[in-house]
Amino acid sequence: MEALYFTGKGSEYFKIWIVNILLIIITFGIYYPWAKVRNRRYFYANSNLGDRNFEYHATGKQLVLGFLIGVFFLVIYSFATQIAPQFAWIIILLFMLILPWIIWRSLMFNMKVTSFSNVHFAFKGNLKTSYMIFLGYPLLASLPIVVLGILVMVMIPSKEGIIEAMGETPLMIGGILLGLLFIAGYIYFMALISKKSKEYKIGNSFYGQGIFSTSLEVKKFLSIYVKAFGLVLVSLGVIGVVMLGLGGGFVTVFVVIYIAFLVVILFVKAYVTSRERAYVYKNTFLDNKISLESTLSARALAWVMFTNLLMIIFTLGLATPWAKVRIARLMLKNTLVDTSVRFNEYITQQKNSVNAIGDQVGDAFDVDADVGF
Amino acid sequence: MIQGYWCPKGSAKRFIATFEMDNLNQYTVTLEGKIAYRGDISKIQASARLGSVERKIVLEDGSLFTTMENDEVDKFFASQQKINNIVHYLETHYRVIVVAVVITIVSSFSFFKWGVPWASQVIAHSLPYETNKLIAAGSMKFLDKAIFQESNISKEQQEKISKHFYTKIAPLGASDAKEVVYKLHFRSWTMGNKSIPNALALPSGDIILTDKLIQLAKNQDEIDSVLLHEMGHIVHRHGLEMMIEGTFVTIAVMMIAGDTSGMGDFGIGLGTALVSSSYSRAHELEADLYAFDKMLMSNIDPASFSHIMARMTHYMKDNRSHNIKEKDFLNYFASHPSTKKRIEMANRYSECFKQGLQVCK
Repeated sequence: MEALYFTGKGSEYFKIWIVNILLIIITFGIYYPWAKVRNRRYFYANSNLGDRNFEYHATGKQLVLGFLIGVFFLVIYSFATQIAPQFAWIIILLFMLILPWIIWRSLMFNMKVTSFSNVHFAFKGNLKTSYMIFLGYPLLASLPIVVLGILVMVMIPSKEGIIEAMGETPLMIGGILLGLLFIAGYIYFMALISKKSKEYKIGNSFYGQGIFSTSLEVKKFLSIYVKAFGLVLVSLGVIGVVMLGLGGGFVTVFVVIYIAFLVVILFVKAYVTSRERAYVYKNTFLDNKISLESTLSARALAWVMFTNLLMIIFTLGLATPWAKVRIARLMLKNTLVDTSVRFNEYITQQKNSVNAIGDQVGDAFDVDADVGF
Repeated sequence: MIQGYWCPKGSAKRFIATFEMDNLNQYTVTLEGKIAYRGDISKIQASARLGSVERKIVLEDGSLFTTMENDEVDKFFASQQKINNIVHYLETHYRVIVVAVVITIVSSFSFFKWGVPWASQVIAHSLPYETNKLIAAGSMKFLDKAIFQESNISKEQQEKISKHFYTKIAPLGASDAKEVVYKLHFRSWTMGNKSIPNALALPSGDIILTDKLIQLAKNQDEIDSVLLHEMGHIVHRHGLEMMIEGTFVTIAVMMIAGDTSGMGDFGIGLGTALVSSSYSRAHELEADLYAFDKMLMSNIDPASFSHIMARMTHYMKDNRSHNIKEKDFLNYFASHPSTKKRIEMANRYSECFKQGLQVCK
């Protein structure tokens, strides 16, 4: 096993980053797609395994149409939700309807424009599965919320009647049980969607003629999420008890809770990311012979995320480039690839040009396609 | 001579190779001591310079020459990459970087401080008046359902206030916005057991007075001052402006945050809240000034406004728990500018009023 490594430098990237922002300001935003290409390329090209590296091949021109469409919809969306927040769900529903298509196109586009050692990646998943995973399951998962919502709506007007009929205590216990059931169902669906989407993304990916494969179990994701949820509950409990002990005015309470929440969320995020990553990498193979491994620990990730956050806040965002370089360095350092098999045999499967309009639209919303390590 | 690797088209195979160019713009690629490629440099392309990232030169048959010797590649391909070379020049000169940092800080600050409010005002006032009605459609019904109860003010008093408003106060705004049709509503608003004193304006011209406000008012002038303040919001199209400001902030935040890979998420919520609350304070100030000007014109002492404000604040304070010490902090988040400042301004206008002035600087 050999670890990847990142050769970018914070000081070098800062210059690229600040010039990007300068050009975006000067061009009133039009430069954004070109800036994005330079950002991405810097990170891809500085990601190495041995003496080979990655490359990002998209051009600003390819992204500009998607970018304009994205901005257009963003304007419509944010204005519409301001005008009529009560109808925001219509827009969210519409967005949900096209999201699987966007994810599908983004995956195809982003994989196609990524190469490692001169060999391009590819994604060949089908649209139907994307709809199943990114629309079907979430709809199914939201069913309990809808049922709960209807139940509450029905119960509120006849609140007194129900309390009389059932008594207050049984009603409360029933409510708590229902809530727990609801949370359990929600966690289960999250695990299921996570498994399915990772299998979809990895299982349909290619490196040249090489095929990626993975087989994952819901059980594992479930155990990660349940632990994460437990972590949140325990931390909330601790914060609550400490706050009760401390007392203090509104501001003290607000600030302490805000910071405490932030740290908890950060750590839980780091925990879930590192555990999922370790599990998924361990079960992912290229052509059943090249294996992967993630040695990223929750503590290391949480530490970098937390110090990054402090850096960004105290420099009003100017330290962002260093923060991004630190994360990239950590991620790559903890990504191991079995290199006993040589990469020499891999060849890009040329079939498709990278110019169809759909490709450009696909990248409009910049859906994270999990291409990089 | 550039040292690097040569890779067949689309293949991960690689061979040590060198790249050279002669005076006649002819390039050669040498593999294992033998010349493998020769041709005109204008027929091949190099990837753009980006920091010290590996360069890729695509040869005529699609095969690749890669190298880390960026400066050498730049020499050979200078004429092909004019625009990119400008960008690279900007990225490598520290004076440019200092200027870029300064421009970025100054323009982001100005954008949020002046750009967004100014642009929102221009857009809000160039949209047809009907937009105001559109955005307020359904709001009254929603408010009635969500927070208001029916007013307990007697019908006679309601009629008296309404009549005074329609005949004396509303016409004061006619010259500023002819299309607006003002409509006065009376509602009760309670939170917990406390009755809330407040007045609201909808972009459609609807103005709502809560029972508690009427009860706290000692005279007609005080109610008029509040009504004029609300009319100020409507005349200045603050409802619409706030939506446009919100749209700007959302997009700006998306563009900034879209690039920080989720790292900045935490700070963004707080930042957005601070920015929006600063816009809304500017609106309150503008509405105050509108009310004061109208009051001077129609012979009402602007001090009335400070009286009712002071009484409302006092009433709300009494109702709050007593261990609140951080007044300044709360004021920052409250949408209304610190009451003290507003009362001071009202008193300044009141001085003008006493001197018989119609305009106050």
